[in-house]
Amino acid sequence: MGKEAKFIAVIKQYEGVIFKITTIYTDNKDDQQDLYQDIVYQLWKSFDSFRNEAKISTWMYRVALNTGLTRIKKRGRRESSISIDTMVIEHTETWDSQFEERLKLLYEQIGSLNALDKGLIILFLEGKKYEEISEITGLSTTNVGTRLARIKLKLKSRIIKN
Amino acid sequence: MDLDEIKATWTQMSEQLEQQKKLTDKIILEMTQQKYRNKFRKINTFETIGAVFSYAISIYILININELDTWYLLTSGIITLGCLLVLPVLVLRSLKKLQGVDLMHSTYKETFIKFSKAKDHVLFLQRLAIFCGFLILFTSMPVFSKIQNGKDLFIGTKTWLWYIPVMSAVLFFFARWVYGYYSSITKSAETILNDLDQ
Repeated sequence: MGKEAKFIAVIKQYEGVIFKITTIYTDNKDDQQDLYQDIVYQLWKSFDSFRNEAKISTWMYRVALNTGLTRIKKRGRRESSISIDTMVIEHTETWDSQFEERLKLLYEQIGSLNALDKGLIILFLEGKKYEEISEITGLSTTNVGTRLARIKLKLKSRIIKN
Repeated sequence: MDLDEIKATWTQMSEQLEQQKKLTDKIILEMTQQKYRNKFRKINTFETIGAVFSYAISIYILININELDTWYLLTSGIITLGCLLVLPVLVLRSLKKLQGVDLMHSTYKETFIKFSKAKDHVLFLQRLAIFCGFLILFTSMPVFSKIQNGKDLFIGTKTWLWYIPVMSAVLFFFARWVYGYYSSITKSAETILNDLDQ
């Protein structure tokens, strides 16, 4: 399999994850589309270096989260970009209005966190173990634990307030 | 919505997304093309246009510097030149640094620290540039009046009677606003950075 084919397979495998990351780091569809493309572009640029490294998911999360973190809002007229329909979750059979409402609340809760904590909560919700979160973020496992405990408290207090 | 519900919703969203893979090979390959990256570079456009404009004005002042024949006109000219020549370079350099953060090899923590510091520097310089813009308004009026009309605003007119106090007051309040705005923006980032060092 050639480089392009391998890369396409990786992106297809993680397209849902990239979607989730872009929804957390942006607040509108245009920005989300830009960020999605930027993440894919950054992953492509670093694809060669990744192939010599260890875990694919570590590399993918690291580059995607770093790109989300350093996103700079564009100014003025938006440039034309590739139109992708992936920016909306389609209503599947299990879709209901309650889920939509919960999704909205989820975005609100995570959106209220600072940029660093957003990355940590994404990894936590993705079911990553502290060791892997530590590898992706560069924080020690103890620090990951402490920060996640604080984030949970923050979210809990917000939930109680609301 | 409690934490368990957040996690359940996240899982449900993941399942929904798994069912609707939409990216085609063509779209993915298009996204890897450099031309689509170009739009991100355009963030520098305003700063670059500003720099070209600043250098054009600087050259004009430098060609006519001999016209500034008193100490205060010369001082005004030098301050104007200083702002016009130095600031655009600093702003462009700081933007380059901001966009040059290594996203591939840095960890999330390293990226956060580097990016926060670079962003902090850009914000500071952008505010400083706005402040200098007002300072230039203050210093360039007598300079251009002399160069273009041969007229010294401070001699034979009463302009200075209102010009100096009004512009000083504007500069004072503007500087206070710049400082206040900058402090509030950087405070939250500083708190997280200090927290990370612990």
